[in-house]
Parts: sequence; structure tokens; C-alpha cells
Amino acid sequence: MEENKEHKSQAIIEVIDFGPLKIMGNFILKDLKRDTKDSQGEVWLCRCGKSGNKPYCDGSHKR
Amino acid sequence: MDREDKQFSGGRKYRNDEITVYWKPSACVHASYCYRELIEVFDPGRRPWVDMNGSTTAKIIEVVNLCPTEALAWKWNDDEKNGLVGSDQLNHIKFRRPELMNTNDSVPEEHPVSIKVMVDGPIVLKGNFTLVYNGNKKEVQESIISICRCGASDHQPFCDGQHRKIGFND
Ligand code: FES
Ligand code: FES
Repeated sequence: MEENKEHKSQAIIEVIDFGPLKIMGNFILKDLKRDTKDSQGEVWLCRCGKSGNKPYCDGSHKR
Repeated sequence: MDREDKQFSGGRKYRNDEITVYWKPSACVHASYCYRELIEVFDPGRRPWVDMNGSTTAKIIEVVNLCPTEALAWKWNDDEKNGLVGSDQLNHIKFRRPELMNTNDSVPEEHPVSIKVMVDGPIVLKGNFTLVYNGNKKEVQESIISICRCGASDHQPFCDGQHRKIGFND
């Protein structure tokens, strides 16, 4: 067991107050309902439940 | 009826003639696979919530293997069979709760962060990443966090299971 192995952070995941979840870096995103995949780069995921383009944020949280 | 609902440290276990299912509530992130796939066995509204007589052993294993955390794990009651279990059996205790099995394998690897958008449920993040929220910066290593997507959690930004109560349907 390599207990002391350093695990490098692969992505920065930021909870935007009253807004979406911003994800940047090395990731694999799977949406199980819509059966879509996405990876790398940058995505914004809806946290408010109101987006018309789930799982992504479409700005509806401001309404 | 050979239903057992016994405690072990940190959780409970349930068995039928062939297998034992281990449940560790503190590890649950409410991804909801268990009751969505097999409410006959995993019914959060019932006590005890796991009924090992509700389905076949094969189906129970299949659904326990879907759990994205170590909240659910399983093993054969016949220990000889446990030695033969392969790594496709994701939530066998050998992989999930080695302390219960007494083996020492599974070295964590570096890999992309896995982000799963659950059906009518939260965003489940797994891996090594930096989580920034409420002005905090937290290094998350080899673990799992679930972020509310329905807007109703009382423990924002984390999912606390409210999506089920409000009937979140995206
Ligand atoms: S968080 Fe932006 S639309 Fe929901
Ligand atoms: S998604 Fe689980 S409480 Fe909102």
C-alpha cells in the first residue's frame, strides 16, 4: 500500500453562491438520465433545479 | 425467514442464505441507485430498510455493485467463494471495505475526476480535486462528495436527500 502517495488535484470544482457548480480540469462527466458524456475543459452545472438545459446552467437561477 | 439485521462497527449487515450485505449509513451520498433499481429489497421507508427476501441473490449483488460509495458492500457467506471474486464485482467487500475482509489490495490510482449527474438526484464527484465553496478551499482526496442539484437541500451545497422528498424530476 502506497499510503503516503500524493494525490494531485485533477480539477478545481467551485460552488458559485446562488449559481452553478463550475468545474475546470481533468474530469469525465456522465449524465445518467440523458446518457451524455463530457470531459476536459470547463463546464457549469445547474444547482438550482431550474435550468432548461440540464445538467448545465442556463442562467435561470437569476430569475 | 432468515432475516438478520445485525450491527457491526459503523453500520449494519443483512443476510440471506448466500450473501451478506453491509450497510454503512455515514458513507451514503443518496445517489439513489439502490431503491430506484430494487425497491423490493432497499426501501428507505421501511424498517428494517433492507429485506433480503425481496429479490434474488443475483439481483441484489447487481444493485449493490451500483452503489457509488462504500455505503453498500456485499460478500458471499461461503468464504472460499470470496477469494475468487473478480474486480468487476465493484462493491464486493474485498474492494470496498477491505477491513472487513482482512486483505490489503487496491492501491488508489491517479485518474480524471468522475462526475456523475444522477437521475433526479445530485451531482456525485469522485476522485482528487479542489473544492471551493463559501470561501473555503478544500483538497478532496480519493473520496466522494455529492452536490445538491434540486435546490432544496438544507445543507447546501451538499445533497441531503431532499430531492426525494420534493420529487425532483429533471
Ligand atoms: S444554477 Fe444556473 S440555471 Fe440553475
Ligand atoms: S439533489 Fe439531493 S437534496 Fe438536492
